[in-house]
Amino acid sequence: MLLREVEYAKPSSVAEALGLLAADDGARALAGGQTLVNVMKARAASPDMLVDLNGLEELRGIELAGDGTLSIGPMTTYTELMESVEARARPILGEVCAQIADVQVRNRGTIGGNLCSNDPTNHLPPLMAAIGARMTIRGGDGERTMGTDEFFLGVYMTAVGPGELLTRITIPAGKHDGFAAVTLGVDGTCIVNAAASANGSLRVALGCVDAVPVVVEAESPDGVRAAVRAAGIDPPSDVHASSAYRAHLAEVLAERAARQAVEKR
Amino acid sequence: MTTIAPEKVIAPQKQWQGQSVPRKEDKRLTQGQGVFVDDIKRHGMGYLHFVRSPYAHAHITSIDVSKAEEIKGVYGTLTGEEVAALTDPFFQIASEPGGQIKDFALAVGKVRYVGEPVVAVVADTRELARDASELVEVEYEPLSALVDAREALKSDAPLLHDDAGGNLMWQGTYEWGDLDAAFAEADRVVKIEELHFHRFNSTPLECDGALVEFNRGTAQWTIHTNNQFPGFAAIMMGPAMRCGLDKLRFVTQDIGGGFGNKITSHPQLVVCCLLARKLNRPVQWTEWRTDFHMSMSHGNERWFQDTEVAVKADGTLLGFRTKALDDAGAWLRYEPLGGVIWAQVTPGMYRWRHIRVDFTQVATNKAPVSPNRGYSRMQHLWFTERVIDIVARELGLDPVDVRKRNYVRAEDMPYETPNGCIYDSGDYAQMLDIALELIGPVEERRADAKARGKLLGVGIGSTLDSGTNNFGQSRLINPELQFSGNNEVATVKLDIFGEIVVTLGTTPQGQGHETTAAQVVADILGCSMDDVHVRAGHDSYWNSHAGFSGTYASQFAVTGLSAVKGATEMLAVEIKKLASVIFGGVPAEALELAEGGVRIKDNPEAFLPFMACGAIINANNAGLPEDLDVTLNCRYVYRPPFEVPDIERKFGNLTLTYAAQIHVAVIEIDPETGYYDIVDYAAVDDCGKRINPQIVEGQVMGATAQAIGAAMHETYEYDEDGNLLTPNFYDYHVPHALDMPPLRTGFIESPSPFTPLGTKGMGEGGGAGIHAVCAAVQDATGKIVTDSHNPYQRVWELLQ
Amino acid sequence: MDVAVTVNGTLYERDVEPRKLLIHFLRDDLDLTGSHIGCDTGNCGACSVIFDGKLVKSCMLLAVQANGSSVETVEGLSDGDEMTALQQSFSDHHALQCGYCTPGMLMSATALLRAKPSPTDDEIRKALQGNICRCTGYWNIFEAVKAAGR
Repeated sequence: MLLREVEYAKPSSVAEALGLLAADDGARALAGGQTLVNVMKARAASPDMLVDLNGLEELRGIELAGDGTLSIGPMTTYTELMESVEARARPILGEVCAQIADVQVRNRGTIGGNLCSNDPTNHLPPLMAAIGARMTIRGGDGERTMGTDEFFLGVYMTAVGPGELLTRITIPAGKHDGFAAVTLGVDGTCIVNAAASANGSLRVALGCVDAVPVVVEAESPDGVRAAVRAAGIDPPSDVHASSAYRAHLAEVLAERAARQAVEKR
Repeated sequence: MTTIAPEKVIAPQKQWQGQSVPRKEDKRLTQGQGVFVDDIKRHGMGYLHFVRSPYAHAHITSIDVSKAEEIKGVYGTLTGEEVAALTDPFFQIASEPGGQIKDFALAVGKVRYVGEPVVAVVADTRELARDASELVEVEYEPLSALVDAREALKSDAPLLHDDAGGNLMWQGTYEWGDLDAAFAEADRVVKIEELHFHRFNSTPLECDGALVEFNRGTAQWTIHTNNQFPGFAAIMMGPAMRCGLDKLRFVTQDIGGGFGNKITSHPQLVVCCLLARKLNRPVQWTEWRTDFHMSMSHGNERWFQDTEVAVKADGTLLGFRTKALDDAGAWLRYEPLGGVIWAQVTPGMYRWRHIRVDFTQVATNKAPVSPNRGYSRMQHLWFTERVIDIVARELGLDPVDVRKRNYVRAEDMPYETPNGCIYDSGDYAQMLDIALELIGPVEERRADAKARGKLLGVGIGSTLDSGTNNFGQSRLINPELQFSGNNEVATVKLDIFGEIVVTLGTTPQGQGHETTAAQVVADILGCSMDDVHVRAGHDSYWNSHAGFSGTYASQFAVTGLSAVKGATEMLAVEIKKLASVIFGGVPAEALELAEGGVRIKDNPEAFLPFMACGAIINANNAGLPEDLDVTLNCRYVYRPPFEVPDIERKFGNLTLTYAAQIHVAVIEIDPETGYYDIVDYAAVDDCGKRINPQIVEGQVMGATAQAIGAAMHETYEYDEDGNLLTPNFYDYHVPHALDMPPLRTGFIESPSPFTPLGTKGMGEGGGAGIHAVCAAVQDATGKIVTDSHNPYQRVWELLQ
Repeated sequence: MDVAVTVNGTLYERDVEPRKLLIHFLRDDLDLTGSHIGCDTGNCGACSVIFDGKLVKSCMLLAVQANGSSVETVEGLSDGDEMTALQQSFSDHHALQCGYCTPGMLMSATALLRAKPSPTDDEIRKALQGNICRCTGYWNIFEAVKAAGR
């Protein structure tokens, strides 16, 4: 419950933030704090310095381009995403954010934090994988943009390296999306979740079953379960679910998410 | 749900009891002006952090605190070795073998559960105490861990306590009636191989805590704490600390929930006391959520094995035999009382007469068990409810019919159970009817659910809330014990300016004692509730407590309020005696108390306000008759009418009152996932005379919510190495606002013939929600439910 | 590190360690003990305050992050000694028993009623999801907030 000693800085530009992160291996970015502060309370991780991103306007904002593409700043909170008029261009974003934790967490927690922490039970990594989001990372060497398959690397690990920051999330136009989850209590932590997108081909991304979202494709919702089985997932067992139960839920939820996506056509 | 409409003014001269008057506690609590133990500060206080065991079972080979103590700002430490030198082991309730174990305030030589306190570090800030604890070096030699109670008595099981010679802590056989005859008479014997009641507790939102000061000159400790049973804590701590009990002053004010889970904090309090003395400064201890989950007050986990039930073809239950295996965790802190407490409700709500329970309690490498809301009765009542539903299923009978056929009936009351407990009053069949009516017809709902692809299930949970213990039952555990009966104290005085001041011995954690006590006082004294001031909380120095004082075991409405009634009636007699003299010899029968004073019935203008009475006795007493025995400061000890039970036959009345609750749950299961919702819920209660209906309903609702949480989500689950897998609120899910079903409530009032006010203790609820959800899952799935905990995965597995 | 934060309308200037949580700053440094701590994983909501107009859990903010900001706690709800209409509604509907979750509940309800003066039942439940209560089962709290909202 009590943090170790830590230094704190609140940069006023992304460049300054990058400088601070690059200068110290033990520096971590502080976004919403809804995950990181708890990790620090448990002393499971104790950065030397927290680089507070909350003053960086450049990392905020949601823009809607003429072709329907959304460009979202990573420091956008879940509440802001839910209330954003622009984000209604991709309704699943607000719908899923509304299921994350509670009001207090949604007022501080950020979409960027959710993606960069890449907890396997998070909602947004599988959602981004299903809808084909692209993440832009900026570091000392410049900027690069990639899809979720390159962005999510492992449990709590993403392509954002030391001295780098996620600066933009780009989401293509689309409305035919679905999301299904079984959670610990209503709108609680996910036991298994699945996101689907039927804009063009049908893609389903599974969360909670592996270190990173597992993506499968199918012709139609009827083929989704087979696709999940073919993916050969071996989900973890924990106090909330056995591996076998998770694997079963993955099939069921993948199909449900897929049907939701298709029914919106 | 009763809601008091703000526009309705509670008429001052009407009876206060029976009305849902606003609570006196609410103003300070809604304004954030409550005083909870962590709110209290003392100049120079040191903050305490416990170094806790990372192993479930290990020898401690060395402890080195030097690096921690070197840090500037660290005031000092305490180890088990010091505790063993300064204190004697805690008194054990058990006889052999459990009574042989040596329980100290810190681990001595060995650790026996993950999270067990090993060393205490005190520093000038919370953060520094935490940091410094990481510099304490403890070397362990790990041992294998015993995590499954069913393995505890095997010859190769890890041995927790050498002093006990094995993991058996207590064993007892209870048998009443004639089992052979019952089983001979039976048309069917239903066999249930194994039932399991799981480990969880009520996780009060405020964790344990204390701020302890030591007065060197008087060797007096002042313990600001939220312990809910100071009488018990004192009895445990005094002998251990080798001091008189009056040297331990307990002070509590607002407590953030107890539910029984704040009874056994005495080991940590001893540590705080020793450090306050050693370091010559106040010591402050806050327990964090993870500490609480890992180390405090888990509820009894109990297996019921090889159950056999003797039944007639028409569903009449004749009797049962079972083997109860209770998992006490690593230490006996209030146990093995759980080995007898269940016997308060031996037959549950049913009329069977032939019963045998072989009760075995063992130690395991898990957190120590101690009372949790419904303590030990809940486990047994769940068992009887499972038996009813399983028997109904086996015989193809309606569970409603089986219950009604077998319930103790209103005309049977007061009803003596096979082991001599007396159910005071009640009408269970009527309550069941009310509950079913609240839910309404179910078959159409079942069809509708099916059309939506869901499985609907309806389940009944009937339960008793036995209240006001006879502590003589402890002798059924250990005949050497010198405890029996029960008591509670109240003091009511009329102060110099006519203030009516009430002092209780209890330690409320939200039950509204200040309010209900004032209602009782106001009715007797004929004044307004606003003129009755009830002191908040508990303080040993008020000298208004006795050996059993505290707030636990569903008894305040009986013990606390009866003490209040007694003290107030004493005061009323004294007021009239005084008034009699002042009015020139008018006899007491001609006087009445009304409108804040005392007056002559036939001549109301002859009126002496309370202020005058108080002033005369306290400050203006010259000329009063020498034999006028009036102090206007009346202390009353309520003693419920109990006998010491018959130890041989294990027979006798163990509790004074029996409140009852009957719940019905309607669930819908998504068969593809096992996920389920409670779509409708009814709770009907009977706690005798209700002093404040709104407060009673609040308790019923709270118990319902906790039971739903336990049934669906809450569990203290361990891995094979003894690590707790649900050590915080992230993994241990307690229900929140979105998890609550719609709730319909109803009530009847069957006054208790045994209590001064006709009230019955209530508040524990007996886990009715757990019983109802289990029954609903069984109904929906068509499979027998054998575990009290039914998360989605278990429901899905039942359907496979 | 210096921090200047306005709490319930009063400016406080203090020197705190960066690691100090806002909830500890409020309770220990400013003696505003109305906000409570009930867990150590950000789940219970007993520490809820309104921070720059938004409901947050103060156990997941550092005190230094509050520099230049404004915080409202339960102590700031009533102006003087009288209970507010919301607090009175909690009492009328028996929406509190032990009172430990109550300050957090009141802050969540306050935030809701500011944004939605007449909330629906669903809106009330969603608004209180982040506040755990073990005593009441929540039903009376829903009624209290609904009644305060009319």
